[in-house]
Amino acid sequence: MFFLRMAFKNLTRHKRRTIITALIIAFAILIYVMTDGLMLGMTEMSFDNIINLESGHLQVVDQNYWEDRKELPLKNLITPSAELEAEIKKTAGYVAMTKRLKFAVNLNNGIDELPVTGVGIDLGQDDKVFELQNYLVEGRMPEADSSEIIMGAKLAELMDFKTGDYAVMLIRTEEKTFNTIDGEIVGLFNTPHPSLNESNVFLPLSTAQDRLNTKGKISHYAVRLSDQNQALTAAEELSTRLEAPLQAYSWKDAAKSLVTMIEMQDIETQVVLAVILTLAAVGIINTVILSALERMEELGMMKALGMHEREIVYTFMGEAAGIGVIGGIMGIIMGIIGLSIFNINGIDISTITAGGDMTYGFPLSGTIYAGWEISSFIFVFIYGIIVSVLASIFPALWAARKDPVKAIYHR
Amino acid sequence: MSLIKLTGLEKIYQQGKIEVPALRGIDMEIESGEFTTIFGPSGSGKTTLLNMIGCLDKSTAGEIIFDGHSINDLDNKELAEVRRYNLGFVFQSYNLIPVLTAFENVEFAIRLIDKHSKKERKDKVMSLLEEVGLGDMAHRRPNELSGGQKQRVAIARALIKEPKLVLADEPTANLDSETSQEVLELMKEMNEELNTTFIFSTHDPQVMDYARRLIEIKDGKISKDQRRD
Ligand SMILES: Nc1ncnc2c1ncn2[C@@H]1O[C@H](COP(=O)(O)OP(=O)(O)OP(=O)(O)O)[C@@H](O)[C@H]1O
Ligand SMILES: [Mg+2]
Repeated sequence: MFFLRMAFKNLTRHKRRTIITALIIAFAILIYVMTDGLMLGMTEMSFDNIINLESGHLQVVDQNYWEDRKELPLKNLITPSAELEAEIKKTAGYVAMTKRLKFAVNLNNGIDELPVTGVGIDLGQDDKVFELQNYLVEGRMPEADSSEIIMGAKLAELMDFKTGDYAVMLIRTEEKTFNTIDGEIVGLFNTPHPSLNESNVFLPLSTAQDRLNTKGKISHYAVRLSDQNQALTAAEELSTRLEAPLQAYSWKDAAKSLVTMIEMQDIETQVVLAVILTLAAVGIINTVILSALERMEELGMMKALGMHEREIVYTFMGEAAGIGVIGGIMGIIMGIIGLSIFNINGIDISTITAGGDMTYGFPLSGTIYAGWEISSFIFVFIYGIIVSVLASIFPALWAARKDPVKAIYHR
Repeated sequence: MSLIKLTGLEKIYQQGKIEVPALRGIDMEIESGEFTTIFGPSGSGKTTLLNMIGCLDKSTAGEIIFDGHSINDLDNKELAEVRRYNLGFVFQSYNLIPVLTAFENVEFAIRLIDKHSKKERKDKVMSLLEEVGLGDMAHRRPNELSGGQKQRVAIARALIKEPKLVLADEPTANLDSETSQEVLELMKEMNEELNTTFIFSTHDPQVMDYARRLIEIKDGKISKDQRRD
């Protein structure tokens, strides 16, 4: 304790040097807090987009369909039934469910053809699970059982469609025969989920089932729960009650590639942090060496008095820890201020991505806001202290091993 | 039994390829409670000799027996232990810790042998500070003290552990003659009161007058050894 107190007093010897070294650490922490906050914000918003526009909290599908779902097959569809729906409703936290049928479409405007995804939606029910209609920027939702369609404003622009136009949708039925739907565009949407805007066309479920000749089958049920964090356990629990090959998947399963990507990004952030803190460590090493050189006579005295190398090293480690604490506090305060300033207006992601649609693989667009996580503040605070202390050990050992005679007489 | 016994002590410094003999066969015995000065011209080996006795450096040849134990074969760690429990040091440039108060600088030394309770420690440090005449300056930092006062703190720091031996290499070299005498007076007082053995080196004839035993070295050898009463 005495040595620790002495260590903290030592920090007052060269206040400016202490502050500058601490500032380097603070700066590293600031960058980490900002990067991490931004990533967290983007992650949360991406998950929201996936849940609210793509998958719901749970999806009930044939597990064989699930494996090939990216290819939008018309095989392994499920037949809706009252028993199945009753089973789904028993899920803890159940709020609503809806039926969807996804299929491959070649969208034709008379000149060009574009492969897109068609989604048949249960119009009375879909808005209880999804938020698509909140993002209509023009027109209205299709009428049930009609051949009215809506599409992303972006897609419409690309294909030169306006509301009121008819779009020819080429489809292949379950029996591989060709068919077309002449869809009247009654609405355009612009969601924060970019791929939805670029490649999805929505139409009434019954019309899709009819033209695809699926005989009332759907690709999946989408379910909304009261709490997204329950989705994982709910999916497992529901799966046990479903008859094979039916299976429930949570939004996390649906967002698997995103989750993997976020994990990668997380590692990247850690690497960035490690690199910056390594620079900060150089600052600590420099400070400890300077301090030791200035205090040679004192160190010689300490050794003459029989102080152990270990105790001298502890004193320097205590000083470094002190610098780490000061830097950590400054860094976190700076980070909180930085995040607050950032979140006043958020940032339009298109300014980061230079107007492009690529959002580093995140399914989001529009204005993004940073997230907060106390645990990551604590993590980086402790990490900063640990790095400071570790960085001090080597120069402290060098100082502690000085020959006492040489230290006292500057030889 | 003498506190220190040196036999045939030699020290040769290696300066690159050149060998610099600093001590060339020193034989001497110091009894417990003695108040001894080592004097001699510059470069005669005073500091070297004190460092050998103080277990700070190792000899090239010869033997040092401290309190009945040979310290020749001790490693650095063991030497540090000997210093920690048995020796006090007073340096020419005081070597106080500037961020600590006078009180804390003295407390620092006793912390190292920590066998006292907080209260005991406090009382001990305070009474010793009073004895060296700094009772009312306990909470000053070194930069708020004069040279003589600093050296008093250093003497208190050396004595707080009640060591068997206090070594002082030119303790008055940075002080004016009046202050030098005060510091010597204090050391002598402590020697008489606590029966602590003191060995100090000096150039100053005035300072030598305080010693009860004078050892002169020249060229790494003892040239005179005289007791006064
Ligand atoms: N580390 C060293 N390396 C080489 N030579 C040394 C070293 N230390 C001391 N010497 C030499 O040893 C001799 C004795 O030095 P020492 O410092 O013991 O003398 P001193 O009597 O204390 O002198 P002064 O009165 O100037 O302090 C000198 O010739 C000195 O140059
Ligand atoms: Mg000398």
